[in-house]
Amino acid sequence: MAAVVTRYRIADDVAWVSEEELDGGETPTAYLTRLPKGPPILLEGSGCVVWLALADGGTLDEVVTAAAAMSGTGPEEIREDVETLVDQLVIIGVARED
Amino acid sequence: MDEHREGRAAPIAARVHLAHAVVQKLADDRDVDLLHLKGPAVLPGLRAEGRQSSDVDVLVRPSHLARLVEALESVGFEQRTDFSTGSAFAHAANWWHDDWGWVDVHTSWPGVTIDAEEAYAVLARTLVHRQIAHRPCPVPDRTSQRLILVLHSARSGGTADADHAWAGAEPEEQDAVRRLAAELGAEVALAAGIGELELHRGDPSYLLWRYFSEGGTRLDEWRARLAAAPTLRAKAALVTAATRVNRDHLRMELGRTPTRDEVRERQRLRVRRAVAEVSSRAAKGATRRWRRS
Repeated sequence: MAAVVTRYRIADDVAWVSEEELDGGETPTAYLTRLPKGPPILLEGSGCVVWLALADGGTLDEVVTAAAAMSGTGPEEIREDVETLVDQLVIIGVARED
Repeated sequence: MDEHREGRAAPIAARVHLAHAVVQKLADDRDVDLLHLKGPAVLPGLRAEGRQSSDVDVLVRPSHLARLVEALESVGFEQRTDFSTGSAFAHAANWWHDDWGWVDVHTSWPGVTIDAEEAYAVLARTLVHRQIAHRPCPVPDRTSQRLILVLHSARSGGTADADHAWAGAEPEEQDAVRRLAAELGAEVALAAGIGELELHRGDPSYLLWRYFSEGGTRLDEWRARLAAAPTLRAKAALVTAATRVNRDHLRMELGRTPTRDEVRERQRLRVRRAVAEVSSRAAKGATRRWRRS
C-alpha cells in the first residue's frame, strides 16, 4: 500500500496580494487575509517566499524546492524553517493540508 | 525565517486589493450582484501605469443594496455618508473599516440617466471576471469600463483616465462606447468627458456638466443642479438641501459626531458664504452695467 503524502496549498477562503503584483518593493512581501473577516496578515522576506512557493501547491518537498529556487539557497538549508512556517500557516488557517 | 504578523499597517494598494476580495466574498455569501469599478478592477491598458486607488468602488444592483449593507456592517464596516449627502448625484454612500479602509457603494454612476436598476442590468450584461487578490471579481467589460472612466473623469474636472480610456481607443471602440452611452442615457456626460459638451447646450444637464468640467462657485453648482433637476419636486428638494449643513461631511472633517452648536455655527458660515457670493456677483453685475452706460 502506497504511503499517503500530505500536500499543502493556500486555503480556499484566502485572498492575497504580493508586493511584486503591486509596485514591487525591495523586500518580498505578501499581504493576505481570510475572507471575509480578516484580519490582514503580513508575510515578509523568506516568509513571503514560502507563501509564493505554496501558491502552486505541493508536497513539503516540492514547496521546499520551489522556495529554495526562489531564494537561491540549497533546499536542505531552509527545509526546517519552511516546515515550521508551513505548519504555522496551517494552524492559523491560511494554508491547508490535503 | 521571518515572522508573519497582522498587517494593519499594510500599504493602501494592498489594503484596497484585499478589500475588493472581502466585499466580493460578502456579496457571494448573500447572493448580492455587484460590479467592481476603478482601481485594481480596471482592465489592462485602460489607465496609466502606476495609478492607484485609495478606496474600493463597487456598483451594486440597486435592489440588492439592503443585503450588501447588512453584509458590510456584519463584519465591522461603519457607514459614514448616506446616499443623499454622499455626492451631487446622490448615487453613492461610503463605509469605513479599520482594516480595509473606505468602500464606496454606488447604486448608479454619475452621468447615467436611465433607471438605476435597468442601468445595472445593461452594465452587468457583458461583465467579465478579473482576479483581484487572487479572487475572481466581476467587473464591467472593456467598453463599459471606458465609458465609466470617461464619465468619472468628466465628473472630476478631467483626469488622465479620459486620455487612456477614450483617446487611446480605436475608432470602432469609441463607437461602441457612444452606443453604450446612448443606451444608458449618458450622452451629455460622455460629451463632457471627451470635449464635445458644446454640442449639448440645450440639454437641462449642460450647466451641471460644464460646472464639473470647468469648475465654478457653489452658486454656479446649485444653479446647474437646479437646471438639471427633472421635476419641480426634485428642484424643491435641492433648494432644501442647499441650505442644510451636510452633517456626514462635518463628522468626517471633525473626526467625531458634531455637536448641535457646531452644526449651527457651520450653518451660519454657509449662509455668510452664500451672501458673500451673491453680493460679489451683484457688485460685478453693477460694475458691468455702469461701464456699459
